[in-house]
Amino acid sequence: MMSDMSMTEVAAGSAGRTWRRMRANPTMLIAVTVLLAVLLFALIGPMISPYDPYETALRMRLKPPSAAHWLGTDSQGRDLATRLMYGARTTLMLGLAGVTFAALVGGTIGLLAAFYSRLDNPLMRLVDVMLSFPSILFGLSLAAMMGPGLDSLILAIGLSIMPGIARISRGAALSVMAQDYIDGGRVIGLPDRTLMSRYLLANAYAPILTYTTLAFGDAVLLAAALGFLGLGLQPPTAELGSIAAEGRSFLFIAPHVSFAASALIFLIVLPVNMLGDALRDAADRRAS
Amino acid sequence: MNDFAVARGSLGMRARKPSRLVPFALTAALAAAPLAVSAEGTVTLGRTLDADRYDPHRSSALAAAEVLQMIGDTLVTLSPDQKTVLPELAASWDVSEDGLTYTFHLKDGVTFCDGKPFTANDVVGTMDRWLKPDAPHVSTWRAGEVDSVTAADDLTVVYKLKVPSSNLLYQMANFNFIMIDPDQAAALGDDFGVTGFNGTGPFCLDSWKPRDEVVLTKHDGYNWGAPELGNAGPAYVDKVIWKIVPEAATLVATIPAGEVDASYTVPKWAIAQFEADPTVQILTPESSYRTSYIGFKTSRPFMDDIRVREAVAHAIDQEAQAEALYFGLAQPTESYFAKNVLDYPADTDTSAFTYDPEKTKELLTEAGFTMGADGIWEKDGQPLKLTYYGFNEALSLDIGQAVQGDLAKVGIALDVENYDSTAIWGKLREETYDLYEMSYPYVSAGDALNLYFNSASIPSPNRMMWNDPETDKLMAAGNAAITPEDRAAAFEELTRHVHEAVLWKPTVEETPIVIAGPRLEAFVPAGLSGAVFDSGLNLKLK
Repeated sequence: MMSDMSMTEVAAGSAGRTWRRMRANPTMLIAVTVLLAVLLFALIGPMISPYDPYETALRMRLKPPSAAHWLGTDSQGRDLATRLMYGARTTLMLGLAGVTFAALVGGTIGLLAAFYSRLDNPLMRLVDVMLSFPSILFGLSLAAMMGPGLDSLILAIGLSIMPGIARISRGAALSVMAQDYIDGGRVIGLPDRTLMSRYLLANAYAPILTYTTLAFGDAVLLAAALGFLGLGLQPPTAELGSIAAEGRSFLFIAPHVSFAASALIFLIVLPVNMLGDALRDAADRRAS
Repeated sequence: MNDFAVARGSLGMRARKPSRLVPFALTAALAAAPLAVSAEGTVTLGRTLDADRYDPHRSSALAAAEVLQMIGDTLVTLSPDQKTVLPELAASWDVSEDGLTYTFHLKDGVTFCDGKPFTANDVVGTMDRWLKPDAPHVSTWRAGEVDSVTAADDLTVVYKLKVPSSNLLYQMANFNFIMIDPDQAAALGDDFGVTGFNGTGPFCLDSWKPRDEVVLTKHDGYNWGAPELGNAGPAYVDKVIWKIVPEAATLVATIPAGEVDASYTVPKWAIAQFEADPTVQILTPESSYRTSYIGFKTSRPFMDDIRVREAVAHAIDQEAQAEALYFGLAQPTESYFAKNVLDYPADTDTSAFTYDPEKTKELLTEAGFTMGADGIWEKDGQPLKLTYYGFNEALSLDIGQAVQGDLAKVGIALDVENYDSTAIWGKLREETYDLYEMSYPYVSAGDALNLYFNSASIPSPNRMMWNDPETDKLMAAGNAAITPEDRAAAFEELTRHVHEAVLWKPTVEETPIVIAGPRLEAFVPAGLSGAVFDSGLNLKLK
């Protein structure tokens, strides 16, 4: 039991150090600020917007930004700012759900592969096959095969992101497996389940978490890309990719629609990637 | 003309809207590289799509029709208002009293591009090839139920039917009836219309680079065109190049730049901008018929009730669609086909197709629906939730969302599903949706009625699943009518009947709009099947 306690302390201690290092990093602060602003926009915005994101008004379509409609209106005459608030919500939710699914499945596969060496080959070769497809292509094929719908979309995004996480998770777990305390745990007769959760996961989670943060950006981008290509959630659901796609036909007469949607995708993905980079740097420095 | 004069005289107006010119400059810069202004005597026509082959018996695509109309001729053609049949390769014709035998007297001196004379045997060979059983040939229904096509002499063709076909001469103006060189078709086999096409048209096929360009050269000595359509021949220009410009926005920029002389595939949003450009001409056909509609699947629960169909029809605002989605370049309509086509009776009751959301509520109440707690009508515990199929294409996506928005306002939930143009035709054959979106060209009421409403056309193109003996009876009577009066009586009655049944919500009527650059003389585009440049005989450089 002593060893358990100390393991947890080490983990908490290293997380705290990482956070202090990140705080000293200005890029990090910018990233966090932008991301928080986007989150506020997506979560609080819908409560204060006076417009219905779904009520169409064709004769008001493609109007440029004005006092009544701060970002103008879309191709159905709906308030674009309101559509973007709901759209950001949907896209963030899809990204989060996709990446959570990917982390759970990919993390488990990696840990299993590292822990049971006989599973290593079959599992990782499967992951290799999945990795050999670019994630956008993989996601596209899955979404096209399963048809439109929330479940299939999350599954498509999750499965496309998953192989990378499985790889990282296996790598991290393998280095932990080489540690003496794993053998120690085995010697005192701890069951596999305890060894995996208390020893293996508790010490291998940091790189998995870092990579998952980075992958969240990819997941958001993939969700938007599928929406842009018409394989995402069906209309009238607001989703950033499909809003950008709707505006594309009118790029020359109403560029604000596509521009605003694309800018918002950018404002989500860039800070997430910056955040991920900073997390990785912080973790790297700790490792070195 | 007034529009152009205003734009020319008011530079101030242009200066206030500089943003309108920016896209042109942008796309011109992007598009400038591959094309150059056409040579003297050459007209370049721009379009976004190519055809898979140029064989009148194997294609139903407009992209094939518009080239084939230039390199081939039909026995007869239609006047600009599409109501009168005119001679083309046939100088005249007689129809027997029983309506079963058509005798065509061909023009003398007609030759193919390779110099071979065109005779009655070529007509026989053309029809034999088209109607050959089990061949991959399309649209053979247009030929009627053919008994035999024979050559009485070099210039006389006898076309015998098993049952009369009142629409036959109108159908014969269609590009599927273009006369081919049967010897060449036999020699080339599968490559016919790909590596070569020997026709009798005002132009000859010179070369085809798929998805790039089709080059046509003038057919010397051509003089057998219909004078009623303008120039009877020979062509004014030496060469016509059909250029593929896949990105519509790029095409928009090539016309003022003079790289493309004319096109009708420019997007709607660009037309308003062209109206402000004095160097560009905007041309429209005298008549051209294409109607867009939302079809109702009458075999589905809810949709089998005519009151529900009418309720849905009243909820959709076709005027807002015409004004906003088509940028005012389409006419809102309340009939399945244009009111000025042959055999449309003026007393057709189209009151079911007005935009009147209040009427929707009345009809649904009358049909036993009550408003549910979630704002959706329901009956026997079932919410009024319908499924809609549309195309995964810009305008179609907008139409789907507009219909969804309109129905949401009256408390009808609509699930919109959009499919790619390759997948949708299969999906539309299924029994899995209630509403669908479509647009179609036609020349007359009889043409439109035959295409859609016959029970033999279930499940496609009769996607309404309209299985009605009265419809079939009137259709047969109209088709088999020998006199124009009998035909009109039957088709007019049928027109009234199918409108009363509320099988579609007609939305807009569209006319193709040709944008022509500064090099080209103004001309009247043709309306037939949407091939606006028709034979190319009226294309003339300034």
